Amino acid sequence: MTTLWDTTGSAVVKELAAQRRTGGAVMSGIALTLVVVADERRVAEAEQAATAAAELHPCRLLVVVRRQIEAPMPRLDAEVQIGGRLGPGEAVVMRMYGRLGLHAESVVLPLLAADAPVVTWWHESPPELIARDALGVIADRRITDSSLTDDPVAVLQMRARDYAPGDTDLAWTRSTPWRAILASSLDSVSGRRGEPVRVEGGQIEGDPANATAQLVAGWLSSRCGCSVPVVRGERAPGPSGISGVVLRLDEDEEVRLRDDRKGGAVISQPYRPDAVVALPERTLGELVGEELRRLDPDEPYSEALAAVTGLSGLSERSACRDHVWYDPMRPDQSAQDDGDGRTSTPAAAQPAPTVPVTSEDTDEVARSGEHDDPADDSDEQQVVQSADAPSAGEVTRR
Amino acid sequence: MSSNPLRDPRDRRLPRVPEPCALVVFGITGDLARKKLLPAVYDLANRGLLPTNFALLGFARRDWGDEAFSELARSAAREHARTPWREEVWERLANSVHFVQGSFDDDNAFDELAGALSELEGSHGIGGNAAFYLSIPPAMFPIVLKQMQRTGMAESTLGRWRRVVVEKPFGNDLASSRALNELVDSVFSADDVFRIDHYLGKETVQNLLALRFANTLFEPVWNGHHVDSVQITMAEDVGIGGRAGFYEKTGAARDVLQNHLLQLLALTAMEEPVEFSAEEIRTEKLKVLRAISVPEDKERFAVRGQYEQGWLAGQRAIGYREEEGVSPESTTETYAAVRLGVETRRWAGVPFYLRAGKRLPRRVTEIALVFKRAPHLPFAPTDTEELGHNQLVIRVQPDEGVTLKFGSKVPGSVMEVRDVAMDFLYGEQFTEASPEAYERLLLDVLLGDATLFPRNAEVEASWAVIDPLEEFWAGTTPQPYRAGEWGPRAADAMLEAEGRQWRRP
Repeated sequence: MTTLWDTTGSAVVKELAAQRRTGGAVMSGIALTLVVVADERRVAEAEQAATAAAELHPCRLLVVVRRQIEAPMPRLDAEVQIGGRLGPGEAVVMRMYGRLGLHAESVVLPLLAADAPVVTWWHESPPELIARDALGVIADRRITDSSLTDDPVAVLQMRARDYAPGDTDLAWTRSTPWRAILASSLDSVSGRRGEPVRVEGGQIEGDPANATAQLVAGWLSSRCGCSVPVVRGERAPGPSGISGVVLRLDEDEEVRLRDDRKGGAVISQPYRPDAVVALPERTLGELVGEELRRLDPDEPYSEALAAVTGLSGLSERSACRDHVWYDPMRPDQSAQDDGDGRTSTPAAAQPAPTVPVTSEDTDEVARSGEHDDPADDSDEQQVVQSADAPSAGEVTRR
Repeated sequence: MSSNPLRDPRDRRLPRVPEPCALVVFGITGDLARKKLLPAVYDLANRGLLPTNFALLGFARRDWGDEAFSELARSAAREHARTPWREEVWERLANSVHFVQGSFDDDNAFDELAGALSELEGSHGIGGNAAFYLSIPPAMFPIVLKQMQRTGMAESTLGRWRRVVVEKPFGNDLASSRALNELVDSVFSADDVFRIDHYLGKETVQNLLALRFANTLFEPVWNGHHVDSVQITMAEDVGIGGRAGFYEKTGAARDVLQNHLLQLLALTAMEEPVEFSAEEIRTEKLKVLRAISVPEDKERFAVRGQYEQGWLAGQRAIGYREEEGVSPESTTETYAAVRLGVETRRWAGVPFYLRAGKRLPRRVTEIALVFKRAPHLPFAPTDTEELGHNQLVIRVQPDEGVTLKFGSKVPGSVMEVRDVAMDFLYGEQFTEASPEAYERLLLDVLLGDATLFPRNAEVEASWAVIDPLEEFWAGTTPQPYRAGEWGPRAADAMLEAEGRQWRRP
């Protein structure tokens, strides 16, 4: 493991390459790059989950932690790992200070595995508009987690307004066990009858403020064409927000499912004794692992989301987003910017670009890491590094 | 599944789950059931792949109650399961585990079994569906099948399915396999018979179809114009274990060549199926198996071997004839290598070298396509001295994956081309998620998906390949090889005769 303090993106790229060369038998097949955006409080949790997911899916793991956006001096600290704490693959944990956090893609882009899909996962409050985070714009698939917010159901509205094919939410992933059981209990009804089943109504008992419960309700109504409300149940539900489901079928039959609180669900259906099936609680790593299995747009999710929020045409939207420049320190000005980080303030206020002229390979700055100019760059976000303040960064190896 | 509004083909997160059903295992106390079947059932339950209403019925001679059986099943599952142990999953499963005691010729025991099954129909809601797993020696098949016929357990009707799972060996020659097929097919309809060849449940073997038919890169060179020869190897480092009685009568050719290796050959050589369905894939495999030709010069191109004492992995290993239960004059082979041809336009003239053996240096199964050398090399002859044949190797086990071997310039001021390997590792990163072969196959049986199960005609076509070899070998003595060696000298001579050599896997 190597930690690079106060370094540059190019130095990280070189260090990763160096470690690959010296690492011996490292993993050779990389299926995708997983970019994890986490805030400092949740980094450990995110790393653990991402490591578990990386064991199922060979990937390059890039963890981006944005800190102290208001810090006067942009700075990058990076930890490069191959086959260590962060699983069998290659992993880079980057902490970005100051304005650099708004230009995280400048560090991340050269680190992406060549021509492999990119998945970005926000393990923090998801951005209101994904287009405002360049790390979401470069991704083929975007994983948010609305359960990390104070009002998950309102956030679902936001997700639906912002939806583009390729978006997904861990609140939806959490619904898979329930959905699997619901589908297989209807299988068993139709298997017994030998003819199709129709669902004429039903309800979910649980927490109406839970995004997963709402999405299951939305999924049921989108599949069955009837309304399925979430009502507050008598018992407090688990993380899925569901303690039971009732489906009213045609022929006056009813299927009831109930969380037995022991890792199972009890299914009651006509002409059959009650049966218990596994309803496992899954770790964050397993959830992310499920998301990495499929990288194509998830239509059932978009339909469930549409049913919950009443918006339509979600899956017809374009899967591509254009980056919208957004400065959290000046939220009202951001809209006037032209989208790629350049503001329309007079040129006199802008320091000259400082990316080295020569190629990275021969560049002293790239090799050793470089201090940034403490100049105020709050108007000019291009400044990531400055060539005229040479003070070698510190490299420590453990 | 259109009869269920919640099923959506685009919704690929939801697992395929079988209908409510029972699994009846004959010979539940046997090795296979304990090491593979019971753990696979637990793993399926743990992954949420068992139906909501499910029952497991064990049948064996031992006198056990449900509880004692449940305890045995628990420890077996716990010891060999691949997924993490969750007591609550097992507890739920244990409620649906039952044991019926009796011998196979005992009418009462089978009546009891039939009764237990119809009782479960009500109490566990299995809806009359049942799969019977015959984990018993083939000699017992007739009597068990007759009992099932007598009690009416084997009948599939409109409202319920009954399936039977048969393990290898499927007979020991063409005639006996025909008789066995006829027997099984007389009790169960052909569609309800599932012959397990656990090699086909392996992820890499299924990946072979993806590799060939989902890519444009390989299929254009997948023929006799570009392929020089194909080598299929199945090497084991173990000896015969405690199976002397079985192995003495069987030998390497009947034990693995007839089924695993010929199935791998069929998947390698078959044409593209019209669609990815059980029927179409099996049709294509059958065509290849029927097109296989055995060598005329069997003296040279069909080699048998038997291991003598030697050293393997730093330990002394005794010879086959010294193994317990093996006759000191035994002529059973523990190694077989044969050159087969596939008489189709695609493969005419391409030799398929198959070899299988025990007590070889390491456990490895792989399919290697060895390509022809470039027709012209614009380099000086000394530049390419170390350039071999290009190879595409499908590693079936262990380290499942694909290797591509090709020539590359050695860095430096002179032109020098040497072989390098490009590796794709399949298994290592996906192990947790990929099901064990038995797990996958068991699930397929319960789902009624026969894609990965050979049809009776395939089994018979395979015996038609093996029979002439066995006939030639009868009365001869296998060539000796030391334990820990890559087979007898004659096997190397077999390839050298045509200017080739075995790849060291």
